[in-house]
Amino acid sequence: METTIGLVGKGFAIVAADRSAARSIVVFKQDEDKVLVLDKFKLLGSAGVAADSVAFTEYVQKNMALYEINSGLALSTRAASNFIRGELATALRRGPYQTNLLLGGYDAGDGASLYYIDYLASCNKVNFGCHGYASNFVLSILDREWKDGLTEEEGIEIIRKCIAELQVRFLVSLPKFTIKIVDHNGTRDLPQPVLAAA
Amino acid sequence: MARRYDRNVTTFSPEGRLHQVEYAVEAINNAGTAVGILAVDGVVMAGEKQKVTKLLEAPKSSEKIYKLDSHVATVVAGLTSDANILINEARLAAQRYLYQYGEPIPVEQLVERVCNHKQLYTQYGGQRPFGVKFLFAGHDKHFGYQLYLSDPSGNYSGWKATCMGQNSNAGQSLLKNEYEETMTTDACVKLALKVLHKTMESLTADNLDLFSLKLVDGKMVHTVYAHDTVADLLAVVKEEQEAADRAAEAKAAQTLQSTTTTPA
Amino acid sequence: MRLESILDLGKKKVAAATDELGFALAGVKDPAAYSAANFSASYGATQDVKFAKGTTTLAFKFDGGVIVSVDSRSTMGNYIASQTVKKVIEINPFLLGTMAGGAADCSFWERNLGTQCRMYELRNKKRVSVAAASKMLANTMYRYRGRGLSMGTMICGWDASGPKLYYVDDDGTRLEGDVFCVGSGSTYAYGVIDSHLRRDLTVDEAVDLGRRAIAGAAHRDAMSGGWNNLYHVTEDGWRFLGQSGR
Repeated sequence: METTIGLVGKGFAIVAADRSAARSIVVFKQDEDKVLVLDKFKLLGSAGVAADSVAFTEYVQKNMALYEINSGLALSTRAASNFIRGELATALRRGPYQTNLLLGGYDAGDGASLYYIDYLASCNKVNFGCHGYASNFVLSILDREWKDGLTEEEGIEIIRKCIAELQVRFLVSLPKFTIKIVDHNGTRDLPQPVLAAA
Repeated sequence: MARRYDRNVTTFSPEGRLHQVEYAVEAINNAGTAVGILAVDGVVMAGEKQKVTKLLEAPKSSEKIYKLDSHVATVVAGLTSDANILINEARLAAQRYLYQYGEPIPVEQLVERVCNHKQLYTQYGGQRPFGVKFLFAGHDKHFGYQLYLSDPSGNYSGWKATCMGQNSNAGQSLLKNEYEETMTTDACVKLALKVLHKTMESLTADNLDLFSLKLVDGKMVHTVYAHDTVADLLAVVKEEQEAADRAAEAKAAQTLQSTTTTPA
Repeated sequence: MRLESILDLGKKKVAAATDELGFALAGVKDPAAYSAANFSASYGATQDVKFAKGTTTLAFKFDGGVIVSVDSRSTMGNYIASQTVKKVIEINPFLLGTMAGGAADCSFWERNLGTQCRMYELRNKKRVSVAAASKMLANTMYRYRGRGLSMGTMICGWDASGPKLYYVDDDGTRLEGDVFCVGSGSTYAYGVIDSHLRRDLTVDEAVDLGRRAIAGAAHRDAMSGGWNNLYHVTEDGWRFLGQSGR
């Protein structure tokens, strides 16, 4: 089942998502990337109906690129979250996009931030967040482990703990995760965490 | 000679010009002067008000200077009635942006929206262009304090200091000589008054609006200077100017003397 | 709804609903509900027409290209309507589409895709990539989402970036992958393919694997069967390898 997890640390945000693409009882593939790089300093993780997630996140990505070309300025993470929320709210009453999102970003002045956005167009700035069934297992870990000023290593370790817990307790198999980080250098992929030892 | 080509706003003349648009620009060059100057800690704008009879009720707010959003203001030169339409457009654009992105609109984007609206009337037939020039003063997180000038054609440009309206050439050359990038708001206020003193026949606190935009403790502060404050400042500027004029005269006389006495 | 009453509806000249996309919908009040009631895959007694839902189609990539292998049975409930259905749609010499779900929807929209691909070639003076072709089909499906279309297809081909394989379905999902099986017999086919697929199979081995997977699915899935049609896609386009028997 679709899962996306994210957290903010000191000067960075991490967004992770499972890599499964499934329909009814069949898993089609295990290498789908559900964390879209919106621009140089923004990550958008999605969990929800596959077609909606792709259609909506690509729509956002293209509109932000258009904004950047038109104005010569990039949207801040806050402005992007507000724009995304607005688009979801507009779509809500005419067949919503069934997609839940985590937006992680880094802004030169304000540092890193994470926004929790759901398909009903709620939008909250959070320190950590999770969408999908996985939140039943993962939120307690994040509640306990997250603290202000996390280092990158500590942040990755928390995400690793969350994934390890899912693989032990969650009925649905989620063997692989995409993990991406954004900081003052931009976005980059993080390697699959080593879980076997856990 | 170009009569066939200045009836319709949207028809190019054989020389490739849009006469009606040029006439609109020309009309504003006779309007009251307005000046804008960028300071290190703010933006200053000042404009000439129409002289009115004492029978007319004094306006409740400035008729030259309008707040467009918390971080942008504009000074108008030209037809006030046309300006009202565009100001309404600008205020709407600013609020729509705030609604969509949850952040104030970047200054240049707001200017561009207004200019795009102006441009339409130089291309689509049946209507005349807006007979207005604007000076926009604003501040945003991207580029700090900014000053823009826009004309009826839909062109706009960014400035450190500029003026528009009657005698704007004289004002422009004064600014060129005396503007410095390190000036504070207070210094810019003085310079603005000096410019108007030069471009206007009789400058008093009654026919002048003076404005500054400053960021104070993270909040944008719009100030329309009170009548008395303007009068005091004006007195100082006039005095300085007269002193400078006297000094210049004396010096000129001296040089003249020395040149006449020196053999060629 | 009985057939006569459908015809009656037609006679009464129910204004043919044309949606905003310009595609004429069936002349009934609610095309989506009508489709669900009459063309769904259930075994309801009131159902007049059933889509060719029972199917096994598969495609996989290996070093020698792409193998596309499908069955040919069409069922209407428990009735075998045809044993000789062509479930591979030849979009153009470099692109194949497979058919699962509604036969009419698949053939119509994949032919429509063929048109779009040809337009792309004429406009851009180069062949369309498989990624672009599958995206066009997925976009079409996404626009008509919730209107009762039924389609599960694989778009297979070879373009400048090599062999390519995409899964596209009626709700607009589009996935790139190395192996896909679609249809009621897909789970059985996956069993065979996943056990034996290697990138370095020879062409003969790969073709044989495609054939065995369809045979395996046809054996276990009552709604799959008939003949096995096989295609091989290479740099030079696709090649029909022929039908193999039951």
